[in-house]
Order: sequence, then structure tokens, then C-alpha cells
Amino acid sequence: MDAVEKANADRQKRWAKDQKIGEGTYAVVYRGRELATGRKVAIKKIKVGQFKDGLDMSAIREVKYLRELKHQNVIELLDVFSSKKNLNLVLEFLDTDLELVIRDRSLVFLPADIKSWMAMTFRGLEFCHRNFILHRDLKPNNLLIAANGHLKLADFGLARDFADPGYKMTCQVITRWYRPPELLFGCRYYSTAVDIWSVGCIFAELMLRIPYLPGESDMDQLKTIFRALGTPTEEDWPGHTKLPDYVPVGQFQKTPFRDLFSAASPECLNLLSKCLIYEPRRRISAREALYHPYFTSHPHPTHPSKLPKPADKTSATLPLEELDGNAEPNGNGPGVKANPPNKLKRKLSSDELSGGGRSIARKLDFTQQRQTVQ
Amino acid sequence: MATDFWVSSHYLRWNVDSAVLRQARAEDIQYVDHPEYLDFLALFFAGLIAKLGKKLSLRQRVIATATVFFRRFYLKNSYCETDPFIVIAACCYVAAKAEESPVHIKNVVSEARSLFSSEATTLYSGIKTFPSDNAKLAEMEFYLVGDLECDLTVFHPYRTLMTLCWKEGSDVISEAEAGELGAGIDDGPRYWGTGEGKLEMHEGALQMAWFIINDTYRSEICLLYPPHLIAITAIYMACAIHQETRGDIEKQTQSGAYAFSGSQGSQGLTRRSSRPSSSSYKRQQPQDIVGFLAGLNVNMALIATITQEIVSLYALWDRYSEDATTDSARASLKRSASGSRPEIITPGLLIQLLWRMREARSADLSGAHSTPGRPVAVNKMLERAQAAG
Ligand SMILES: Nc1ncnc2c1ncn2[C@@H]1O[C@H](COP(=O)(O)OP(=O)(O)OP(=O)(O)O)[C@@H](O)[C@H]1O
Ligand SMILES: [Mg+2]
Repeated sequence: MDAVEKANADRQKRWAKDQKIGEGTYAVVYRGRELATGRKVAIKKIKVGQFKDGLDMSAIREVKYLRELKHQNVIELLDVFSSKKNLNLVLEFLDTDLELVIRDRSLVFLPADIKSWMAMTFRGLEFCHRNFILHRDLKPNNLLIAANGHLKLADFGLARDFADPGYKMTCQVITRWYRPPELLFGCRYYSTAVDIWSVGCIFAELMLRIPYLPGESDMDQLKTIFRALGTPTEEDWPGHTKLPDYVPVGQFQKTPFRDLFSAASPECLNLLSKCLIYEPRRRISAREALYHPYFTSHPHPTHPSKLPKPADKTSATLPLEELDGNAEPNGNGPGVKANPPNKLKRKLSSDELSGGGRSIARKLDFTQQRQTVQ
Repeated sequence: MATDFWVSSHYLRWNVDSAVLRQARAEDIQYVDHPEYLDFLALFFAGLIAKLGKKLSLRQRVIATATVFFRRFYLKNSYCETDPFIVIAACCYVAAKAEESPVHIKNVVSEARSLFSSEATTLYSGIKTFPSDNAKLAEMEFYLVGDLECDLTVFHPYRTLMTLCWKEGSDVISEAEAGELGAGIDDGPRYWGTGEGKLEMHEGALQMAWFIINDTYRSEICLLYPPHLIAITAIYMACAIHQETRGDIEKQTQSGAYAFSGSQGSQGLTRRSSRPSSSSYKRQQPQDIVGFLAGLNVNMALIATITQEIVSLYALWDRYSEDATTDSARASLKRSASGSRPEIITPGLLIQLLWRMREARSADLSGAHSTPGRPVAVNKMLERAQAAG
């Protein structure tokens, strides 16, 4: 074993892997522990399969950004190590997510609770944006919640950095219900405002307890948005009719926020409306949002430890069915992620074949010789 | 990740000192006659990465990232115990993904195959041809990402250069690096502001600084120094070398005895700066360049050290030739009187060297049981695979 392998083995030995708790598109997630402390962790095993194709873009992005981002409101990547044919990410263990909380009908939300979740979301997002990282997949299901109530941005599989401006980016990002109109119109040069729109939708969902803008297709998504917020005029959003995929989808009147969110405070509705401004440039930034009067006015945000949370994860998933026939069993909602262009396709069998030895080598093969020596 | 270099994985885990570098080459150095050969190998491999990157239409920044991955991999591995050619392909493949410009694995395999078999054709064939199977590259990718400890964010000097010097309508750079800087740059918000606190450089000097930065990847400078210092060094050097800029500085100071206007000739110092520079530059009151750079408040001793490293790199490079006519035969005939080292180093020579290093390593590892000269199998199970069970 050389020094590199030893370092890796030492890291691996710090963690114990227990039972499987979930599976995503490119990874299987296990419950785990830090052996020295007993600390609960999640071990995300990135499937490499038989090395048919390379690592999934989402996996690359997730490790790339999580290795750099350290913030109370961003999921923490504690360690990485490789085992036989897998890369393993050791993540802090997070009990639940905001979607499960929202859908648990037994829970009652106070305005102060919503304020607390929003504040944590904006703090995490402000940190990402400050570091020139767009999340591009914000939705309740990707806002995970720790045992102590802290909310963390997770799932950086669609994230990318925008420090070198002016590059075309794909508009096929963000789960449909949370996708801003500029992306639906095919805008390829966009910025932090796309994430803010998603946060606006989440904000509204926290108050309504159902998704605010649940379009059934990309086309219907625009219609759904315009029905809620009114069809934008040239004055509302200069130049939007010139966007690549612009299509007129009909004239709709805005439904006043007041009618829908009758219990909300004026500051609350003011912030919500600033997250959902059509013109991306005028949409509020995460930093400005944190200074918005909503967060300083009464009531104060609930302390994270006092926030409502599902009694346990399994019982909370029950009401999922009644929400929307489209919802996927794992609760991701419809229209999940569109494939980014050039996304490398890979077929995975979750059963990894352990047979068939490796054929190439990080190192040249001196095994035989070495074995005779040792 | 762009703002805080000081808390980045790049700075915290991958900015190393020369002792670490020396340690990393400890095995390789046993198998070369002179440590200098390792520098030539570093130069040669970076050249191959750039070539493969060009074939795959990767931007300069992606090529730079691939090169940094390569250097980081070899902080933990030896040339003599690995196959640098497949590592090069994996670096390009991962860098393209990490920099959001993915290329299909098949393209990487086929471009790498054609490049590596055309490089020093006969010699490389002795080391077996590059694998045609995607799975092999994918497997190497896995080892690479593992050894990189998943740290895929790399900072480059280009951003500092642009932050300090780029100005509206600068066409020389965008010509040189089509798509890299020009296209669409005015479509997004510019995070560094609107030209305040910028150094107005002659376009030729700016371009030269850009090329100097490209050149630094041919050595291990990118592991040793923070990228912003490399950028500032490149600006200094470009200002000192660039005729018009130098004239301005001399006029301003009336002495002309600035740090870098010394021994090096102004022509042909950078390897790729031979493109004609735009002469349409409008003369204005020249900015106080020296004052501007001094105002950046960086450690000048470090800048001087980096300058030295770059100058040594160019000196080394002058003795390296990819010209086929200077290939091994001639080169090995042309030995200097003082020693047995050839004066001109060629890729062919380096591949032979690598080949010998491997054999020697293999022989050492197999001890008494070795069959001298037995070819090392590249395509077999790996020691690590066995160690992992
Ligand atoms: N840090 C964590 N703590 C506890 N459970 C987790 C953690 N991360 C993931 N999980 C569980 O593992 C499941 C799979 O997670 P993963 O992030 O791989 O995929 P996903 O986000 O659900 O799907 P996709 O890959 O399509 O985005 C999650 O649904 C969740 O139940
Ligand atoms: Mg997810």
C-alpha cells in the first residue's frame, strides 16, 4: 500500500456505513457513523458502475461545490474517500426536508416559523451567490433540515459558477414549478435572479402549503405564472418578447397577493413580490432580502430548535399522494430536472458487478514482481 | 467558487512548497541522470495536455485546469509507476466536465489515441498503444478524482489579469483566445466593476501577459504560488518586455532601470507572443504603471522569485525542441563537452527516458526475480485494486 492508499484507507476507517436510506439518480445514500464520536452521518456512494462511461456531471458538480462551500445553511461535506469502485461522500446527516415538513398536515406553521425558514434559506443562498455559485435547483425537497432545526441547501448537482461572466448557460435547469420565466423563455445569459425566483415560489408554498405555481408542462408553466402574477407588459419586463423562446401565451390579470395570502403581513407580501418580479435585474438579491424589513419586523423568526417538524420521516410521506397525481414517489414533483445539454448519459445498474477485474491502472502493474518480493 | 481564495481547497490543500514537490519526485529522481530531466518531462507533458485540449476544442482555461489536475495527481504519484498518457487524457476529460464544457468520453479516447500515436510514433509503440476502450479512461478518471480528493475547483491567473487589465473593446485577446474573453462578456454583470482601478495596458502587453500565464503551466509554478501573484508577475514581465510599455515607463522614470528591464531581450522571450500586435492603439497620457503595481500591495520578493522561475522555465524551454528534424539521432549526437547530457531535448528522447525509468523501476521492485528489459504491462490489474480487495 503506498502513501496515497494509506491516507485513503485512514479516511475510510473513520466512518462506518450502515443501512441504505435512499437512492438518487447517481448515488445511493446510506446511514453511517463517525466511529470515534458516534456522530450520525450520511454516506453518499457515487455509482461508478463498470466504468462504462465517466462520472455523471451532477456528481462532478456536487463534489466540486460542496468541497468548497462551508456555511451553516449549506449541507456540509465532511469527508471523501474511495472504495473499490465508488467514490464516497460523507455528509452531515439531515433528518428531513422542507417538502416533508410542508406536506405534513398535522403541523401548524406560525408566521414566525416561515420567517425562520426563509431567513435560513436566504442566508445559505446569499453565501452561494457571494461565492459566485448558482444553485439552479432550489425547491422544498432540496432544503434539508437538521435535527436541531437548521435548514441547509443541498443537492448541488445542477450548480455552476458564474465568476467568469458572459458564458452561455443552459436554460434547462430548475424543477419546473420553481423555474423563472426568463428560463422558460430560453434565456441563456442569466444570473442569481433565477434562484431568487425559486425562493419566492418556496416562500409562497410555505404559506399556502401547496405548490404555488404547479404548471403541467413548460408551456403551461408560463400560463400558470401569468395567471397568478399577470401577463408582463413591455414596461414590466423590457425586452422579454425578444428572448429566444418567447411565445405569447395569452393575457391574464394579476391575482392580488392579498386575495391569496390573506393572513400575511405587508412586509411579508412585499418581500414575496420582490422575489417574483418579472425583470430579473430588478428582482431582489439574496443580500438585499436579508436586510428586508420582513426579517426585522415582528414577529421574530422562530428559533430553529423550536420549528415544527414531522414526528418521523415515514409517517410524513403519507399525504404525498393526495397532493398531485404527478408527484413522483420520492416527492421530487414533476418535470424534475431537464437534462442539461451535453449531459453525459450513463446507464447504471444499481447492482454493481463485482466480477471482471480491473483492466487499467492508476499505476502500472508491478504486482507480480512485488508479490514475489514480499 | 471565486471570491475567497484563502479558504479554498486550492489554497488550503494544494498550494505546496518546493520541499513537497521534491518529495513527490523522490522515486522518479532515482531513475534519471539529472534532475533537470524531470523538468523537461513536466514541460513535455503540459505540452501534450495543451495539444489534446486543442484537439478537443477546450478553452484555454479548461486546458489550464487539466494541467493543474495533472500536476496535483503527480504530487501523489510517480511518473515511473504510472502511465502519464492516460492520466493526461483523464485530466482533460475531468477538467472539461469540471469547467462546464463536457466532451464525450469517446472523443477523448479517439483524440488521445491519434495524438499519442502520432507523437514520436515508433517510440510510443514500445509502450503499447493508448487503450481504445472507454472503460479504461473512465476507470482512470475514478482514480484521478479520488487522488484529487474531489477538489475540482481551480483558480487561475487569467481572472486576476482580466480584473486588473481588461478594457472594453480589447480585441487582441479575444482574437487570440476566440470565445474566451470577447464573446458575450458585455452580456453579464462584470463582478469587478467598471474599469475603476484598472491598469491600462497596451494591447500587445496584455496579450503578452496572457501568453506568459499560459507558459507558466509548463512548469510546476501553478502548484507553488497563488494565481493572483502569478498574474501580477506576468503583468510585470509583460510591461518590462513590451517595447511601447517599456518606453512609457522609461519616460516616466527617466532612468529606465526598472526591475525587469534587465538582461532578457525584449523579443522572443515569451514563446507564443509572436503574433503581430494591433497598432491601432490610441496614445493617451500613459498611466503610471509602476505606481499602479506597487499600489497592489503584494510581496515584491515573491514576485521576483516567480519571475526567476519563469525565466528559468524559458531557459529550459530553449533547449527543448519538438521539431522532428532535431529528433533523437541528432540530439544525442550533439552532446555538450562538459557532460554527457544532450543539448537539445526532444519528445522522442523524453519518451525513451520515461520508458527506461519504468523498466528500472520495475526491475527494482521485482528485485532478484526480475527479468531485465522485460516490458511492463500497462493493461493489467493494479496494485491498488488488489490492496482494496
Ligand atoms: N445528508 C443526508 N442525510 C440524510 N438523508 C439523506 C441525505 N442526503 C440524502 N439523503 C437521503 O437519500 C435520498 C437520495 O438522495 P440524493 O441526494 O442522492 O438524491 P435525490 O436528491 O433524492 O434525487 P436526485 O439525485 O434525483 O436529485 C434522499 O431522498 C434522502 O432521503
Ligand atoms: Mg435532490
